[in-house]
Order: sequence, then structure tokens, then C-alpha cells
Amino acid sequence: MKKQNDNKIKKTGLGAKASRRISNAIIYFILIVITIVWLFPFVGILLESFKTETNMQTPYLFPKEFGFDHYVKLFTKTDFLKWFGNTAIMGVATAVLQTVFILSMSYVLSRLRFKGRKGLMNMMLILGMFPGFLTMILIYKVFADAGLTEKMAPLGLIIVYCASSAMGYYVSKGFFDTIPKSLDEAARVDGATRFQVFYKVIMPLSKPIVIYTILMGFMAPWGDFILASYLIHENSQGMNVAVGMYEWLSRTNMNTHYTMFCAAGVIVAIPVVAVFLGLQKYYVEGVTGGAVKG
Amino acid sequence: MKMSKILAVILVAIMLVACFAACDQGGKGDNDGNTDLAGTYDITMWVSEKDGVADQFKQQIAAFEKANPGIKINASIEGVTEADAGSKVVADVATAPDIYCFAQDQLARLVQAGALAKPGVKAAETIKANNDAGSVAAATVAGSIYAYPMTSDNGYFLYYDKSIISEEDADSLEAIIAACEKNGKKFRYALENAWYTASFFFATGCHSTWTMTAEGEFNAIDDDFNSAAGLIAMKGMQKLAQSPCYDSDADTFADAGAIVTGIWNAGAAEEHFGANLGATDLPSFEVDGKSYHLGGFTGYKLMGVKPQTDTKRAAVLSLLAQYLTGEECQLQRATEFQWGPSNLEAAKSEVVQSNISLAAFAKQAASENCVPQGQIHGAWWDIAKVLGADAKAASSDAALQTALDNYDAAIDAVLSMSDEAKQAWSVIGDICGSNWDTDFPMTADGENTWISEVLELEAGKQFKVRQGAAWDVNFGANGVAGGDNIVVETTGKYQVKLVYDGTTASIELIPVE
Amino acid sequence: MKRLSDLDYLKLNKWQAFWYKFALFICAIPSAIWKGIKKLGGFFKNCGVAVKDEFVDIGSTFKRGNWAVKLSFFIFGFGNLFYGQIMRGILFLLFEIVFIAYMVLPSGGVYWLIKGNWFKIGSTIGTVQPQKNVYDPITDQYITIWGDDSVKVMLYGLLTFIFIFAFIYTWRLQVKQCRICMDITAKGKKIRSGKEDMKSLLDDQFHKTLLALPLAGILAFTVLPIIYMVLIAFTSYDAAHDGYSNLFSWVGFEHFNELFNFGQGGLGLTFGEILSWTLMWAFFATFTNYFLGMFVAIMINKKGIKIKKFWRTVLVMTIAIPQFVSLLYVSKLFTTSGLIGRALEQIPFIHDWRLANNFVSLWDSPTVAKILLIVINIWIGIPYIMLMATGILMNIPQDLYESAKIDGASSVQQFTKITLPYMLFVTGPYLLTSFVGNLNNFNVIYLLSGGNPIKGTAGGASVGHTDLLITWLFKMTLGSTESKYYMASIIGILVFLVVAILSLIVYNVIPSTRNEEDYK
Repeated sequence: MKKQNDNKIKKTGLGAKASRRISNAIIYFILIVITIVWLFPFVGILLESFKTETNMQTPYLFPKEFGFDHYVKLFTKTDFLKWFGNTAIMGVATAVLQTVFILSMSYVLSRLRFKGRKGLMNMMLILGMFPGFLTMILIYKVFADAGLTEKMAPLGLIIVYCASSAMGYYVSKGFFDTIPKSLDEAARVDGATRFQVFYKVIMPLSKPIVIYTILMGFMAPWGDFILASYLIHENSQGMNVAVGMYEWLSRTNMNTHYTMFCAAGVIVAIPVVAVFLGLQKYYVEGVTGGAVKG
Repeated sequence: MKMSKILAVILVAIMLVACFAACDQGGKGDNDGNTDLAGTYDITMWVSEKDGVADQFKQQIAAFEKANPGIKINASIEGVTEADAGSKVVADVATAPDIYCFAQDQLARLVQAGALAKPGVKAAETIKANNDAGSVAAATVAGSIYAYPMTSDNGYFLYYDKSIISEEDADSLEAIIAACEKNGKKFRYALENAWYTASFFFATGCHSTWTMTAEGEFNAIDDDFNSAAGLIAMKGMQKLAQSPCYDSDADTFADAGAIVTGIWNAGAAEEHFGANLGATDLPSFEVDGKSYHLGGFTGYKLMGVKPQTDTKRAAVLSLLAQYLTGEECQLQRATEFQWGPSNLEAAKSEVVQSNISLAAFAKQAASENCVPQGQIHGAWWDIAKVLGADAKAASSDAALQTALDNYDAAIDAVLSMSDEAKQAWSVIGDICGSNWDTDFPMTADGENTWISEVLELEAGKQFKVRQGAAWDVNFGANGVAGGDNIVVETTGKYQVKLVYDGTTASIELIPVE
Repeated sequence: MKRLSDLDYLKLNKWQAFWYKFALFICAIPSAIWKGIKKLGGFFKNCGVAVKDEFVDIGSTFKRGNWAVKLSFFIFGFGNLFYGQIMRGILFLLFEIVFIAYMVLPSGGVYWLIKGNWFKIGSTIGTVQPQKNVYDPITDQYITIWGDDSVKVMLYGLLTFIFIFAFIYTWRLQVKQCRICMDITAKGKKIRSGKEDMKSLLDDQFHKTLLALPLAGILAFTVLPIIYMVLIAFTSYDAAHDGYSNLFSWVGFEHFNELFNFGQGGLGLTFGEILSWTLMWAFFATFTNYFLGMFVAIMINKKGIKIKKFWRTVLVMTIAIPQFVSLLYVSKLFTTSGLIGRALEQIPFIHDWRLANNFVSLWDSPTVAKILLIVINIWIGIPYIMLMATGILMNIPQDLYESAKIDGASSVQQFTKITLPYMLFVTGPYLLTSFVGNLNNFNVIYLLSGGNPIKGTAGGASVGHTDLLITWLFKMTLGSTESKYYMASIIGILVFLVVAILSLIVYNVIPSTRNEEDYK
């Protein structure tokens, strides 16, 4: 990409218009290449899922014959629907709870000043540096005792996802920081309590970050494998999609389930991509607004 | 567990024992009539995750209920691959399923974790009488049977493409390599997996046998991989590994002209090779004009029962496990899933004898270089699999030898402590400038007596005496096992003396001038 | 190093200016470390002073307090009740009753503390070993009588300690409140009622309301488990001593020696190698993503480029699809039988190189595997950076560029003089967090290479060339049957120390973090 800039310098002699046209052409070319590279895996998985073969890595991209066998099998012969339901429930619950947690934390850190605020932020920064999954060893034991594993693992996982989620306050704090403080002060002068300021002044302005946080919460359970597989302990009634599908790639299953894995992958991707693309505008606003200060 | 719970358990046990004793007085010598066991049992089970297996188990349990009127079983069955069911069980024994199926290499670890209930004396006799010797050995640790043999088919053999490899060529590694190279096909052989790596070593007569204690702990290994014969094995392996047709990924059939894999891929093999499917025992390879027939492990799948606290429940689970691993059920599995039976009667049946994959397995298992897979330390798999990669990377015989030396060193490190070191006593504490991290050795001083070197001990410092540089056996104040630390009363030079006859211990500080 | 005056600085050419800045940065590191240490020292000193003040205050409170205050030293909330703060008083009293009941009840606090043999090196945690395979001749069955579970004994002990701390803290709190009530009454003022207390939770004390839930979550699910894991480092918790079928013991610092042993049987060398690759990975993963993502953003945002939204959406798709699907698929693409692996095979150079080295697939070469990981990570990471950079680029005041153009600055100069410094200034903290994130980037390594190719064994698990510390930890605990929990805990502590020190240095050196109120 450096090259492109060099080209430009050399060609300043060509006149501004021509040089811009050339550099734009180069940029279009790069962007098209990027599009192909970035979409390749998705198209690949999609095509793989329509193959009628069951084994992996058939040496061609396009299916020799299109078939929906795997999709049919997925819903009739496996517990996939159950896993999908579990994950969807976890996604929604996590989205709601996590948003409450993160927004409370980030709002407090951004707008309110109190004793121990700086210390709290430092503490969370430091805690975030400890390899998190080591803590699972203990959490698992406690949950196993409390009956929050196996069949009830989705509930346990929701708790795990949400409990410490406030430590990821950075982006939304950054967003709140960009809202002028004078708004709060004006409201306070008018006699509003801090709660009213939060509820009536800040929240209406924070739609992008709220949606961003909801989105991130909703997406987290779809990809989680390590924590989930630990808590689920092989109970097919409590699985999320990742854990359930991972089994299909085991040594003894790969040759019979690989393309089914791809089909399931496509189905998992549909709701996430749909929600994501629908709310992309807010996601972009949230992350750009928040990351400036985050 | 809380004290109260333990008490409750003991009470229940006593009550049950009394109850059964009463029954005995009624004239029943043993438990043949299952009327005593009547009741409803909620149990959890892990069986193979293959399609249809769980359903078949459900039907078999229904048949069991029919055969044992009065016993009602509510089983919830999960599919878990046998290859690592064991490691998932030991992750949390408390919530493990009541009955689970596992590949036999995990037996030692399961016994160590206390995750397997021994079958009763009668059940053990039945197991011994009805299953092949290899599978019984595979279920045995230090003389006791711990699990119920379920299949005797967990081994590898050769699938090949008849259209490029003749039946004759399939007997020679070199011929297979040549045929695959000529036709641009792959020879798939997972040499970077110790289970397969071992086949070359067994071919040249090497062996690697671990022994373990009754607690399920490994205490010795008899291994001669690092030898002249081992070097020949490495050379043979190098021959294959450095061929362009070699691929260590034997989980897939893509482009395969020949593949070394097992019965679990029978379906995939049929799909891939179609009419050209050939299956036979492993080929021989040639080094310096001598031919060696590739060996391998024959492995078994076992069914385990989780230890119960209630004898009645234990008895029911044991009965159920015996039924599910009995002739009838094994035969059903052989018919439907091509699982090779460990049951002697089932193995003789027509279904098993006529199956091409099972026949190939049997042929390979009959080879003298095939070793029934005993108990192997978990670390060995990681250490030995490196040999395959080393053979591939080596450019000289010296490099092959280095690889074997490294292997030897790594094995030694696993059992870094000799028996002698494990028996040795030492003093440890915040003494002599150390802080509970240095062992001061003690030497034997007559029978049942050990004495330390002269130590300068300050008043108020604390210490203990322990064995084998570990805390499993240690003595504190007043010779109490695992007791409080001993506190030095006055500063001075001392020798620490331990007298221990296997039951009681006493520790003494002997002042030295 | 001598600081140049502004005038001298302007005289430097581009390269000199760059090196000058670079040297300034390097020179700042020692002083940053020193500042950090001083800060830490000051922190401890402050703590000491605060503790001393507390004790003095407690003493004087008892001396000059009236009988109600004195009684509240023993009966929680008595002072509050006395001065009419009924609700607070009842809550305090309830807390005391619950605490005492918990401590003395059978199988309560005291019971667990005793069972834990806390910090007695050589003693087991828990006291009752299980009795395995107890034979019952009547039913011909073996049963097991389970004993203590060290993991739980330790947990309940730890919880009890925390409860005791909470008790002391609450005791101090209510004594102080009593004294304040007494002082206020003495001055003839009115004490806040319970109703006003509640109201203030939505106003002055609003932060307490908002923080209650999130903080409770963090304490229970992060702080407590971390303390627990740190304690594990001082025990013999491993596969053979799993606490359930065999109790584990306190061993003190004994196992630290194993890690720092660089000879045979020690983990020192392996640890060093993995650490250096982990740092290298984090560096490349962070900065390749950062710069390439920024360039992509600049390209998309360039004037005259159409369908901006489309380009962005394409990239954002990667964020939306669960990683375990896409990464597992991508990793298979690069094997010899995968689509890309196959295509690369057609290039004679790569084919020959692979055969010469006897690599079955590209993943078998340690160097290539590492490069592949970094390249594939670019594929994952660019979209995030692109989005963020887009936002920041929009925020840069356009008049800066206008005036630069008037001065005749080329677009390269505009980039190095305006865009880059602005980006670096604003995203400093982000760079740090993403560096830390990459140090612990479990998913990418685990799903793509699994740590392979294999190098050897250490810590009871196989170790590969591409293993990060975090994946090694995983192999050592959940991913292996020979788990060495104590070693994982020790390494966890060390990882934490390395990361914490690195980030403290960076935080003290980069400008944008120094004052958060600066940029508004």
C-alpha cells in the first residue's frame, strides 16, 4: 500500500485529475481483491454445505451436485435445533443483562466523580490482565454444586458471560465521554436528580452505544467454545451450537459429518449476520464514537 | 463432603447390609433372584456418539428391564466419543455418568482418579470366562478387573485401492509407496500419532511396557525403543515419511491410494474406494535386506461403572453393565455398527467372520508383532509421537539416533524418581536458610531408623519429615502423620532422627556437640 | 539525553527528527519505571498512614463516645438505632447475627477454617481421604465412601476469610457512623432519615446504585477466582492429587523451583521460548492489523471512492460470523488437501521446498505456521481497526488538511504529519489493550494451529512451536489428563506480572493516557 503512495508522488506531473483517477483505480483494484479474500471463506462454507459428499476437503470448490441433504438431516436427525434454541436464549439474555452491567459501569465512570473512581478503573485494568480461563476451574466446581452445569449449563453460562462483563466498559465509557457535560449541569441546575439526568438526558442520546452493547452481548454466546464445553460436560440438552458442532470434527466423525458442520455453520451465521447487518449503522456509530476515547 | 453426609451414608450402608443379611437368613445364598433389587433407577450414560448407537442402547436397556422384572431404569444417554470420555470423566468424577464407555488407554487414569467401581467377585469371574484374553488384560490394573470389555476392534490395518495396488503388493510397504507415487495418490498413515508410530517399533521387536501400582500410579517402564532395532524402525519410518506420497493426516480419505486406519472409518472407506475397496493386515517393510512385518496396538473399548455409595444401586448398575457387554448386545452392535466383539461366542458368529474390515483387523491382530495395548502413561503419547516427525525431518542416521536419545531422555524424565528416591526420607522446613523448598536428606541408620546430617537449627524454626520429596507421606510433631510442624526449642546443632515401622513414627532431635 | 529547543528541533531533517523522538521515547522508559516504583512506594506509605489513622480514630472514638457509641462496639448498629436510623441499625445488627451464626454453626466458618489446615506446609487441605472400593461381601459389590474435596474445603475457607474481612469492615463502618451521628446531634443538627438515605441512592449516591450489581459480579466471578487460583500455586493440586479422589496439600514455594529450573526436567527453557514467541506474536498481530486496517480505512474514505458502505459491509461480515466456524474452515484451507494448499502446491518453488523439508502441509513448518497465523489474523483483525479508524478519520478537523494543502504538502506528508500522529495520540490506550488481548489470544491459535507443529513435552502436556502461554496453560489444565493445576497457576501469575509491568511502562510513556480529561 506504500507503493500506491509512491506512485502518486512520481505522477504528480500528470496533472491532478489524471493522477487522482489512477490512484482511485489502484484503490478500487485493492478493494476488489480485499472483497474476494474476505468473502472467500464464507462462500466456501456455503458451497461446501450444498455438497452431497459427507467427507472433508473434496478437492473442488463447487459442488458436483447441489443437495440439501445436510440441512434436512440437521433438523431431523440431530439435536441441532435444541442447541440453536439454547444459544439463541443465551444470546438474548446475555444481550439484556450485559447491557445493563456495562452501561451502569461506564456511565458511572464517565459522568460521576466519587472517591475510589480512579482506583476502581486501575483495578479493572489489572484484573483484565490475568488469564481469565484459569478462573473457570473454580467456577466450574461451584456451578456443579449449584446444579448450573450440564442440562442447566445455558443458565450458568449466562451468569458467567454477564457477571464480569462490566470490565469491558471501555468503548461505552468512551462514547459517554463524548456527550458534553454541560447537558448534565444544565439539568442539575433545573433540579433533576442524578438518576433523572441518566434516564432523561443521557439515555436518549445514547442509542448507538446501547445497540452496540446489545449486539456484542448477543453475539458472544454463538462463538464460545472453551468455557461452554467445560460447563456443559457433554450433556446434549445443554449444548450451545459451538460445542455441539465441534464434536462433528472429532477424529472419528470428521469423515461423516464435515459437510454437515458447514451446513450448521451457515445456519448459525444467518441470524447473527442478519442482526448484525440490520444494526450495522449503530454498531459503527458506537464503535467509532467509543473508540475515539476508549 | 460434610461429616454429616458421610455419617448418613454409613448409616444407610449399615441398614442395607442388615437388610440383605436378613434376606440371607431367609435362605438365599446369593443375589440371583433380582427381586431384592426391584425399584426405579435414574441413571446417566455416555456411549459412542455415532449415529444410532444411543438408540440401540435404549432398546437393549428395555430388553434388560424385561429380563429383570421389577427393575425399572430411566436412562438418559449422551453421545461422547470413547477416545476421550475418560479425560472428561476425570475432569469431574462427582458429576460423571453412572455408566460410560471409553477406550482402554484411559483405564489407568480413571483408576487413579477413583472413577471406576470394581466389578464384584462373581462379575469379575464372568468377565474373565466370556471375553478374549487381550480384552480382559486391558481391563485389569494390578491384578484386579476394573471394567467390562465391550469391543475388541480398536486397532488399525490397511485399506487400499485395488485398482492400483494388487493383493500381492499390499504386503509390501515399498510396493505400496511405489504404486501411490506412480498414480499420484496419497499413502495416509498417521505417523505423528504415537498410537501409529509404535507400529514400526513393534515390527522390529521393540517393546514398551509400563507397570503400575494398585493405586493406578505408574512406577516403571520397560522400553527398548532406543536400540539397534529401534534405529531400524526409524529407518523404515523415514522411508515412508520422506516419500512424496506420504500424508500424516489419516482422518480424511482425499486422494488416498492406501490408508492405515481402523474400523471406525469402515463406512468412509467404502464410500471412498467403492468397488475397489481392499482391506488387509499391515504390510512389511525392508531395511538392509531384512523384512519386518508392521505391528501395532490392538485396543479395546470398555464399559465402566462409576463408584456408587449405595450397594443396591451398585448391584443394579453392575448387572446392567454385564448385560450390555454380554454376547447378545455385542452381537447386535457387530451387526449394526461393525464393532468387533470381545465376547468369545459373539466373535465366532457368522456376521463377524464375513465382514471384510473385521477380518482385516483380526488378521492384523493375529500377527505376532501386534501387542495388546496395556496401560500406558499419558505422557508417553506425547513423547512418542515426536518420533514420527523426527524420522521425517532427519537427513542422516545420526539424526535418527539423536531422536531416539531424546525420546529416551524424555521417558526417563517422566519417571524421574527412582524407587530409591521415592522411599528416601528427608527433613524440610524453614531451617538452614531455606523456606520449605529444600529437602535435607536422611540416611538409614539401622532397621526402621533414619538420621539426618548435622543441621544448625534456630529456636522457633519449624520443620517436618517427609518421604520421596512429596507430601503424600509426612510426619510432624509427636510423629503424627500429616500433623503439626515440629518447633525447634533451643538453638543448636542437631541431627534429626526418625523411627518408623510402617505404622507408628517418632521423631527426635539429637543435639550434637 | 539533552532536550532540544523547539528551534533546534525544527532544523532537524525528517530522519533526525524521527530518531530524536525515538530516543526520547526510549529514554523515557527508565524514568517511567522509576516513577512507577515511586508511585507504588507512595501507595504503600499512604496505606500505612491510613491504617494508623484508622486505629487512632477508633481509639479516640471509644474514649470520647457516649454509652451508645461504646455499646455499638459490641452490638452492631446500636448507635444507629439509638439515633433513629432504624433501617441502617437493623441491617447492621442482622449482619452481625448472620456472621456469628455462620461462624459457630456446625459445618460453618470455623469448621471450614480448621479443615483447611491453612498455610501449614505439608498438611492436606481437608482431612478425610475417600475410601475407595470398600467390599461388601453380601451383595458382592465394591462401593466408595467419599471424603473431603480439597477444592471445596479451600473455597469455603477462602469465603470465610472474606466474610471475616467484611465483618471487620462493617464493624468499623458502623462505629464511625455512630460517632458521626453523635457529633451531628451534639451540634444540634438533624440526622438523615432512612427515607432520605433511599432517595440519595438515586442522586448523590447514584453511583452506588449503579455499581452494586456490576461490582458484585466482578468480585464473585473475577476477584474471588483469581485469589483462589493464586493460592493454588502454593498447593500440590494436579492430576494425581485432584482433591476429590486424593486430597492435595500445601507445599509453599516448592513448585516455583520447577519452573525456574533451566536444566532437564525443569520448565525454564520451554517457558522462555514460549514467552518470546508470545511477545513476538502480540507485537506483529497488533501492529500489522493496526497499520493495514488504517490504510484500508483511508482508502475507503478517500474522496471519489464510491459504494463506501458496500466495502465496509464486506469487511464487517467477518465480525458477524462465529470464529469457530470461519477459523476452522480457514485452517483446513491451508493443508495440502485444502483448496489454498492445493493451489500453492502448483507453484514449483513451494512444492519443492515442502518436499525438501518433508512437510506434509504448510502448518508443519514452524516458521511458515507462524507467518500463516499472523496473516490469517490480519484477515480477522482488519475490520475492527477499519471501523475504528473510520470514526477517528472523520473526527480530524478538515481545516488542518486544507491549510496543509495550501502550504503545498503532498498526500504522504499529510498522512505522516497529520493523520498518523492524530491516530496514534487517540488510539494509544486501544493499542495497549489490543496488545494485551493478543498476548492472551486463545481462539485464533487454538482453532487455527492448535499450537502445532509439536516441539516436545513440558509440564505434562505437549508443547508446540506456535503455542502461546495461554494455550500452553490450557493444555496443562483442561486439555490434558495429566493436569498440573499448580504449574498453570504459577505461570498464570507470571503472565500477569509480565503483562502488568509492560502496560505500566506503556501507560506512563504514551501521552494520551496521562490525562483523561485532556481530550474532550
